[in-house]
Amino acid sequence: MTTQTEALARPRNGTITAMLIVAIPIVLALICVLARFDIIELSQSVRAALLFALLLALMATGMPISIALGLSVLTYLFILSSVDPKMVGLKLFTSIDRFEIMAIPFFILAGNFLTSGGVARRMIDFATSMIGHWYGGLGLAGVVACALFAAISGSSVATVVGIGSIILPAIVQNGYPPRFGAGVIATSGALGILFPPSINLVIFAVATSGMQPRGPDGAIVDSASVGQLFIAGLVPGLMLATMLGMTTYYRAWRNDYPRMKRASWGECLRAFRDGFWGLFLIILVLGGIYSGLFTPTEAAAMAAVYAFFISVFVYKELKLADVPAVLLKASSMSAMILYIITNAAVFSWLLTSEQIPQSMAEWMTAQGFGTVAFLLVTNIVLLAAGNFMDPAAIVLIMAPILFPMAARLGVHPVHLGILMAVNMEVGLCHPPVGLNLYVASGITKMGITELTVAVLPWLGTMLVFLVMVTYIPEISLWLPRVLGMLY
Amino acid sequence: MGLWPKGNILLDVLDRILDRLEEWIICVLIGAATCITFVAVVHRYGASNAVVFATWASAHGLTWLSDAADWLYVSLTSINLSWAQELATYMFVWMAKFGAALGVRTGIHVGVDVFVNRLSPEARKPVIMFALACGALFTGIIGTLGAVYVYELDADQVSQELEWPSWIIYLCIPLGSYLMCFRFLQVMWRYQQSGYVPHQAHGIEYQGQQAPVAEPAQ
Repeated sequence: MTTQTEALARPRNGTITAMLIVAIPIVLALICVLARFDIIELSQSVRAALLFALLLALMATGMPISIALGLSVLTYLFILSSVDPKMVGLKLFTSIDRFEIMAIPFFILAGNFLTSGGVARRMIDFATSMIGHWYGGLGLAGVVACALFAAISGSSVATVVGIGSIILPAIVQNGYPPRFGAGVIATSGALGILFPPSINLVIFAVATSGMQPRGPDGAIVDSASVGQLFIAGLVPGLMLATMLGMTTYYRAWRNDYPRMKRASWGECLRAFRDGFWGLFLIILVLGGIYSGLFTPTEAAAMAAVYAFFISVFVYKELKLADVPAVLLKASSMSAMILYIITNAAVFSWLLTSEQIPQSMAEWMTAQGFGTVAFLLVTNIVLLAAGNFMDPAAIVLIMAPILFPMAARLGVHPVHLGILMAVNMEVGLCHPPVGLNLYVASGITKMGITELTVAVLPWLGTMLVFLVMVTYIPEISLWLPRVLGMLY
Repeated sequence: MGLWPKGNILLDVLDRILDRLEEWIICVLIGAATCITFVAVVHRYGASNAVVFATWASAHGLTWLSDAADWLYVSLTSINLSWAQELATYMFVWMAKFGAALGVRTGIHVGVDVFVNRLSPEARKPVIMFALACGALFTGIIGTLGAVYVYELDADQVSQELEWPSWIIYLCIPLGSYLMCFRFLQVMWRYQQSGYVPHQAHGIEYQGQQAPVAEPAQ
């Protein structure tokens, strides 16, 4: 139940469409019931198709994705009848009682503290003092501040809210066109799901963990760990930030947008000292994970406590009395994601026990699909899904399906994870459900249609980057290999 | 927005108490789990560093410093925190179950609403009712399956580290699911009464961008 564009929101009477939306899942469920009582005979592949059709039909009604996943699994189990449905209830518990998954609520909590704790403003000041005097100064500073904030918060929405709500008014005040600022921030905010720590990368690791698909040579391919993905996201994140910065610089130079006064060394130093507490969190989290001091979950817990501490006691921008509100917001956000995770875990457990991804992988290799074609199709499917669904849900549903196929073709799981993250970034920046656009629209009071035009140059840059990440695996795999985390 | 027919103060108050209780449980769980994990990490790191420090100090002939570090190490290791990770994990699972129920009330669960939003408010109504009813159906089934599972669980079975009875830990499945089911029914009732469906995305309420679903239908 997220969002809509103005064009789509135009009320149109559609009683027949409404009836269809409700009728399709009911009919599909009835087919399942008929199959249960042996009135009609369904082959294995038809059953699999029925499962996906039911899932899509239920999702089309606008019900929570988690509920659609759970209901389609229950219906399918009802046809199968060989698996005890009681297992589903238990699975809903055991699929999240793992310590690794707790990184997600911790990072969300840390992000919420940072957004309301004055860290964002200091990062912007620091970035502005460093590069504000270049062409498109404040825009460039926005890109850098987004990258810095992304490196501590793990979510793209937190990044857009945290940085955007402060820098966008400033950009307009300093004489830049609002479109320019909104375009920069809406796209740069998406760095949040690529730059480690990223909640999306944790979700990818969670969704594929424990799966043991076979590679092209028949050997078992291990799924990617959170630590590997975090290190792997660093180079693509920096590259994308640089490319977005270059686009910003080029447009500012072409249109001769105003530049900021060069900051003196003293001012730079002061900005750095002010922002140091926030910047130190990057070292704490990434350094801690890489040096082996913390597991990703422990690093996330440290980040949450640290963010609480600096927001309340160092920067003093968050009152103790407001802490319960932050806790509540973070926990309902995490509960929503954890609820999708539980249901997606049941869904992928069903897929795996029915061997559906494996048979899809078999079929694909039998058709002579190569890596290039597979990656192209993957991108198209993910970009299409980005038009309808939330990134977390897409990763949870698609990763367990794509991973066995990718493994079969010899695509590295870490590469797949980064590729999915970049795809999700693109999805966040275009309508109809691009969440970043809605957040930016809320801050700038610009319409979605106008914003869609505003983000185009940066969206184009992102698509170029997507092609690069897709077909040059070394971008994602080089750093973890150099650091000896991958073979 | 009252759930019950106007004038029934008792039920209204009960409803409000349930709301507050729900929020309070969730806040305490997430806060406590974070603190526990933090303390456990600091504890483990402190203990292992105390050993290193003690070795270094004795190698440099600083006997008193080495003794102090040794004492720190012994006193830290005497506190066994191996249960912390398990407790934190269970707290998060409980938080997730109750938070999901809260999410129904606040409308935070994401769904695909591009199709529904294209419909006129009147045409939208049966679709939203159907979606909410499916939510109530699913959570009701899961609650029942969970209750049966908990009931059939061996009463002597305990968790690994904490050694708490498993049935208490698993109790969050039926409790959370039934609460969620109740919330779905409540939202349905309110929608029927007032045409209002709670709706937000990622905890952000956009000014001027509220989905039409959230506006009262005439």
